[in-house]
Amino acid sequence: MAATQAPSPPMLAPPAVTEEDAARSLDRSRVHSARLGGRRWSLMWLLVGPGILAMLGENDGPSMIAYASDGAQYGLGFFVPFIPLLFAMAYVCQEMCMRVGAVTHRGYGELVLQRFGSVWGWFAAGDLTLTNLVTLGAEFVSIRVGLAYFGLGSGVAVALGLTLVVFTFSGGRYWRWERIVLGMALFNGLFLVAAILVKPHAGAVLDSFDFTPLPGAPVNTLLLLIASTIGATVTPWMIFFQQGASADKGMTPRDIRHGRYDTAVGAVLASIFGIGAVVAGAALLTHGGAGIQGFAGAGFPQALRRVAGAAAGTVFALGLIEAGAVAILTISASTAYAAAECVGVTHSFNTFPRQAALFYAANFGVALTAALVILIPGAPLLSIALNANVLATVLLPVSLVFMVMLANDKGLMGAWANRRSTNVIGIAVVTFVGLCGTAYGIDSFLRAVHVAG
Amino acid sequence: MKATPLTRREPNPRSRRAGVDPPVGESPVHPEPAAEEELIMHLEPDQFVAETSRPVPRAQLRRGAIVALWALRVFAIAVSLMVIYTFIDQLH
Repeated sequence: MAATQAPSPPMLAPPAVTEEDAARSLDRSRVHSARLGGRRWSLMWLLVGPGILAMLGENDGPSMIAYASDGAQYGLGFFVPFIPLLFAMAYVCQEMCMRVGAVTHRGYGELVLQRFGSVWGWFAAGDLTLTNLVTLGAEFVSIRVGLAYFGLGSGVAVALGLTLVVFTFSGGRYWRWERIVLGMALFNGLFLVAAILVKPHAGAVLDSFDFTPLPGAPVNTLLLLIASTIGATVTPWMIFFQQGASADKGMTPRDIRHGRYDTAVGAVLASIFGIGAVVAGAALLTHGGAGIQGFAGAGFPQALRRVAGAAAGTVFALGLIEAGAVAILTISASTAYAAAECVGVTHSFNTFPRQAALFYAANFGVALTAALVILIPGAPLLSIALNANVLATVLLPVSLVFMVMLANDKGLMGAWANRRSTNVIGIAVVTFVGLCGTAYGIDSFLRAVHVAG
Repeated sequence: MKATPLTRREPNPRSRRAGVDPPVGESPVHPEPAAEEELIMHLEPDQFVAETSRPVPRAQLRRGAIVALWALRVFAIAVSLMVIYTFIDQLH
């Protein structure tokens, strides 16, 4: 790619500082102060956020139900080591997003649109909106599953999800939004608590790291399981979200090292909590766990309650509510970043809704649309939830290819462009994810038309 | 602390953002000069809204890259249609 740097116009009198600049500068002043004062932990605290949120946001309701289903059907053997491997791949992708956001101070959507043209920018935003709408529907379903355990219905799930979205808008500060969602995201650890409460055999968990093949699963099933698990780990919204959030947070190239720590911590936590869901689900392995419809009624929490006690069921149900709620906040934020970036209007949480109407309207509108779907009587919620991961996996390679191109763009990234080793790993990940997603989509189609399976 | 120049480039008047945003969204804050200096010194020059509103120049892609991107796009749409067909099939 032949890149050209923008010609620098002459330096003129300083333009006015916007409220967005003022809010971001306030956050940056604390970062400068911590860095100058050599307060390493304080600096880490100030700079973590986008990476952990992207990773724990992806440990969403449908993903956790999928992990638990895997455990209930196949035990620990394959998935316990596979989940960390997938989050290692997610780290490779997300580190690039963080780096591009910190260096360019721009979101993924606007960079694709400006650098490669409006057709590609709108394609990317269209893909994202479609997959986000479907995924958000699945998030509301997972909240409903968790609430059903406590005898509450869809209306409460919708009210809870939408109230949280509106609540995080207040304040007109990215920092406030990030800390609220980060605080909620840490409750993803409830799945680890659920895993402990089912009292797994420690030796069996450790033994599973030898990559035991799936017990009695044909290659076709293995392929579908791998692809659906990838769809539960790396998705297009994470790319838009982490780059947009890194830019909104005001990260700079000096913060890239901490951005990497943030992403790595997120990947490690998400792996541990994901394994927690598999281990909790595996408690049902010998109790007909394979037959549980994870999205029907109270599904897994009720089944866990019968097998492992009320505490395990309650914690798992609360975990599902948390996972769905955090994902609603992060996924709607990624839609808002994409929509406002592509239209070319203000896209920052460092503004108030009256200043960034489209940004906040897209944020709330996509959540509201998804919420309304689950209120439709007889809506195919199970099918929506299952196909959300497939669609995300199928559309992911296009987003990843542009991400690798942006991270390699020396005109934008300068000295921070990808190294050869990063490219080798990045291209291998994109190829692997792309092949699995494509195989998954084609295989599902062939089964639907009764050509295969 | 990194010295940050207090002068910055003017925003590009052709930027869509400049024309679309409601005036209040880009409404300038007019703090005291010392306060503005304090604000500015914590942001890098290319971090200001005025600067990020300027579009980056278009990349010049080789013909092969454009063909490959379109092939990938068409392929992704084709597989997406398969997934949508599968979804509709599941409804029955």
